[in-house]
Amino acid sequence: MQKDFAKLNYYEMLDISPVAAFFEIRHAYNAALQIYGADSMVSYSLFSNDERKKILNHLERAYLTLINAQERKKYDKELGQAGLLPQVEGRTPLKRPACIYDVKRQTGVKIMPKKTNKTILRENVEGNKKISEILSRPEISGTDLKSIRNELGIPLEEIAQETRVRLDYLTYIEEDKTNRLPAIAFLKGFIKAYLKILCLEPVDDICARYMKWLENAGKKS
Amino acid sequence: MAQIWPIGGGKGGSGKSFLTSSLGRLLAAMGKKTLLVDLDLGSANLHTLLGVPYPEKSFSDFIRKKITLLEDIVLETPINNLFIISGAHDSLDIANLPYEQKIKTVRAIARLDYDWILLDLGAGTSFNTLDFFLISQNSIFVTTPEPTSIENVYRLVRSIYFRRIRQYFTATEFKTLEREVETQFGEGSFNKPDCIIQVIKLAHPEKGEILESDFNSFKFKLVLNQLRKHDNIVLGSQICKIIEKHLGFHIEFAGNVTHDDRVHDAICQRVSFLERYPYTRTAYDLRELSKNIAKSGNQQLMLRYS
Repeated sequence: MQKDFAKLNYYEMLDISPVAAFFEIRHAYNAALQIYGADSMVSYSLFSNDERKKILNHLERAYLTLINAQERKKYDKELGQAGLLPQVEGRTPLKRPACIYDVKRQTGVKIMPKKTNKTILRENVEGNKKISEILSRPEISGTDLKSIRNELGIPLEEIAQETRVRLDYLTYIEEDKTNRLPAIAFLKGFIKAYLKILCLEPVDDICARYMKWLENAGKKS
Repeated sequence: MAQIWPIGGGKGGSGKSFLTSSLGRLLAAMGKKTLLVDLDLGSANLHTLLGVPYPEKSFSDFIRKKITLLEDIVLETPINNLFIISGAHDSLDIANLPYEQKIKTVRAIARLDYDWILLDLGAGTSFNTLDFFLISQNSIFVTTPEPTSIENVYRLVRSIYFRRIRQYFTATEFKTLEREVETQFGEGSFNKPDCIIQVIKLAHPEKGEILESDFNSFKFKLVLNQLRKHDNIVLGSQICKIIEKHLGFHIEFAGNVTHDDRVHDAICQRVSFLERYPYTRTAYDLRELSKNIAKSGNQQLMLRYS
């Protein structure tokens, strides 16, 4: 039977699940505007002008509440207390679109917070003799970078995912394929990003030494 | 028990008769004994679409009591398994069918022995049309992707709603009901079936319950006809969604039927579009539609026998 639109909860108004992610909410709001908008063919003549305005106002309030994380939490709590929030099982709330390729993804295991991750890395860098030996060289090649990475035990895929640098470029850098490398301007950025992930400091200095090595390698060939 | 499917849509020229004849042909081709009844009283032309240009018997013979049994005015068509009750050469005042005769007709139709009975209803929301709609719990609405046509669909849905409510009350009861709705919801609100239902639920709870289960048992289908290339293909499902949400009817989107100028050609040449142009998009859409409807018919039969 016909239900009063104003009595629906915000999720029902927008036709979405109570665990919908933000992009789903935005999408649903756009779809609703297409249906209820003044120049829409779908709702033409079904509502009077006043009714349409009221519905649009409700939709806007629903959207603005749900799209705001704090307001949404408050609203969910209110609904929960009134016992109106339907429980949805088998789906955890999404915060952002899931990564299609995530090397660290493991079900049920929480990824270590980044901060502790970094401090541990830094300790490893400082404590490792081979790494400090490589870092003391005047010129550093891609192969050196690779051996540092192997010492630290970080897979190349993880670096590619974190830095968003293409995996094949990282491979070329590590394998010293100088003819396949991107332009210098990009290369510098890639190297710095790579160094930052591995917590190798000072970044600028090491990068400059890599560039120096690259220059000499170019002269030799 | 026959499957009775009224086909209507409010607006004229949306392709109701063409759709009825095409569905009839397709259902007959599936081996189902199908009867088409032309209830577009006063402007009947289903017989022309089915290749029966000069029907010997017609609906007015039954109304005028020249022929007492409805079975006897059924005509055969050139198509196997397909039969028609024509409305051709009707008396000129048949459009205003008196109530008793309408009831008689409705009962006679329900008793006919066919697998499928499709009723081709006229445009508009006259009581005739509405009552024939209410014979069955199923029905097909035809609309085109134009505001005028969509407007009339909403109008028709509301009118059916209203007519159903009206059938449960006597004239005086309804008058008091109307007055009560006006006082509760303000002027002009008795035109909104939802306001009336709310009042009924309070004043006559048992009737309210019957009405509610009645409305819940309706299974409507919507067909979006004459869809052109640049039209919005999700329009039909959006209309169904909004009817379900705001008017509270179960209505299912049955599919789009693409516009084709050759439909006009086929009608002018008085040949079957499906036979002359079987490999067009429109013919494909019609075949898909008939499959959809045949399927939901079977589901219902099973429910009834279980």
